[in-house]
Amino acid sequence: MKGRRLLLYIGSYLFAAIWFIPLLWMLITSFKPEGSVVTVLSELLRPPFTIESYKTVQEQALMGKWTWNSVVVAVIQTFGTLLLCSLAAFALSQIQFKGKKLVFVLIVAGLMVPVEATIIPLFSMIVELNWVNSYSALILPGIALPLGVLILKQFYDSIPKALVEAAKIDGANLFTIWWKIFLPLSRTSMAALAIFVFIQSWNNFLWPLLVANDANMMTLPVAIPTFQSSFATDLSVPMAANVLASLPALIVFILFQKHIIKGITMTGIK
Amino acid sequence: MEMNHTHSKYKFIRLSRIKKESSEVMKNNISAWLFLFPFLFLYGWFMLYPIIKGFYISLTKGSFGVESEFVWFENYIEMFKDYHFWEALWNTVYFVLISTPTIVVIGLIMALIVNSKLVGTSFLRSIFFMPYMLAISVVTSIWVFILQPYTGLLNSILHQLGIEKEIFWLSEPTLAWFSILFATLWWTVGFNMVLFLAGLQEIPDEIYEAAEIDGAGPWKKFWYITLPSLKGVMVLVIILQSIASFKLFGQPWLMTGGGPGTSTRPLVQYIYEVGFKEWNPGYASAMSYVLFLVTIIFAFIQYKLMSEKRGE
Repeated sequence: MKGRRLLLYIGSYLFAAIWFIPLLWMLITSFKPEGSVVTVLSELLRPPFTIESYKTVQEQALMGKWTWNSVVVAVIQTFGTLLLCSLAAFALSQIQFKGKKLVFVLIVAGLMVPVEATIIPLFSMIVELNWVNSYSALILPGIALPLGVLILKQFYDSIPKALVEAAKIDGANLFTIWWKIFLPLSRTSMAALAIFVFIQSWNNFLWPLLVANDANMMTLPVAIPTFQSSFATDLSVPMAANVLASLPALIVFILFQKHIIKGITMTGIK
Repeated sequence: MEMNHTHSKYKFIRLSRIKKESSEVMKNNISAWLFLFPFLFLYGWFMLYPIIKGFYISLTKGSFGVESEFVWFENYIEMFKDYHFWEALWNTVYFVLISTPTIVVIGLIMALIVNSKLVGTSFLRSIFFMPYMLAISVVTSIWVFILQPYTGLLNSILHQLGIEKEIFWLSEPTLAWFSILFATLWWTVGFNMVLFLAGLQEIPDEIYEAAEIDGAGPWKKFWYITLPSLKGVMVLVIILQSIASFKLFGQPWLMTGGGPGTSTRPLVQYIYEVGFKEWNPGYASAMSYVLFLVTIIFAFIQYKLMSEKRGE
């Protein structure tokens, strides 16, 4: 029994080591001087360490601008999705109206459409609108997220009818009911959805690759490879760029880990 | 007289109620559409319209933003004869076939580790999940440097372990697929782990305790309790994973460029190259419809299974 437990420990932590070493290696390499050997452990851990690579990134890359673009796109997309999905979910859950079934079916059908399959017509529209290299092109197409409507509708369906009736008797109109009752009650679902949308948006690669080719409009995932392509043999500068690009997401992860994992679970399973 | 009066009074009340109800219905209709409008506006604009427009584009030849020629189904016919299309489609299917079992099984193993009574499970959970937070280009950049021959970390470690051979991880087809698979595994397995973990935590402890009293060992408990209880989550994870794998693009694009040759080029990358490097949106659109069809079949199965699960 004891032997098995020990084996389990060794196996588990070995697994964890394999998962963690690439991150650690990225971090340490980014602090090594240019041209140092970073593949032999004893060499890797021996000083000197320097922040020279970070200075190079600061001088040659628009790190601040790219991070800013990523933040703007992810934040607006997250808020936009929450707002629009919540309004739509409220109508589908709480109001009887003509055409409800059709709208619902149309939205469910959208769950099945991968963005990857519509990039050609979408890009063609962006060209016609003259929106290449604009925030509108980066942000707007991702906002109407069918999954968001379905998750929130499911939660709204579970809110007791009596609560809504009572508010109606008190003279509250539908907008007030949405704002004062449904929004506050759905905080957990909203947070889960927000986390999901934010991570997706932050890591989105294909769409920004298409519509942002001006260095000033790129988001981090698109800009990083472009910047790194001029440092083929030197590792410390690309790794410093990786660290800087990952820092915001990793800080958010460390601070809100529990919420993030809960959010992923809720959006994934429901 | 008296009778008649009350009768008409009732009639009046009834009439006004009907009137009130119909104005209520009207009001509901209007407010419902007001609530839906912002969503439906963007949804119609960027989701429904592109689907129709994409079909139209697939029937034309020409480039973005210029007058194009209507050619009926020529692009589709060309596609069926195009070796590169079939190769790319097969590459995508191949990746779905190798990645789904791998990432699902390892996700389950990680969830079991994190759910066990070992010391430090929340630390392990963080480590396993962390790569999921990274941008795809950071992930591929790290792995390309690790897998590089002569200067990479992995070969250097292998040399120190006594394996003298220089292994070209990214420029030999089988190894290139293995590298793409491993980078994808490292990056996304945390997502599956979290879903499995939620499933594991829903299994009541009493069942395990009862099984232990009956003398069941760990392997029996896993086979007869854990696995059957995870059926629902398992189906969901498998479908989510296959859909995600169907959309493969960034990993080969950034790690191998689809190479060596075109041996790791998936369908999305071929669509991207035809559409945005060769500027042939008609042909790219036709291929998009194949991708669309395949994912729709998978998503449809997913929706069916999920509504079944909810119906229980």
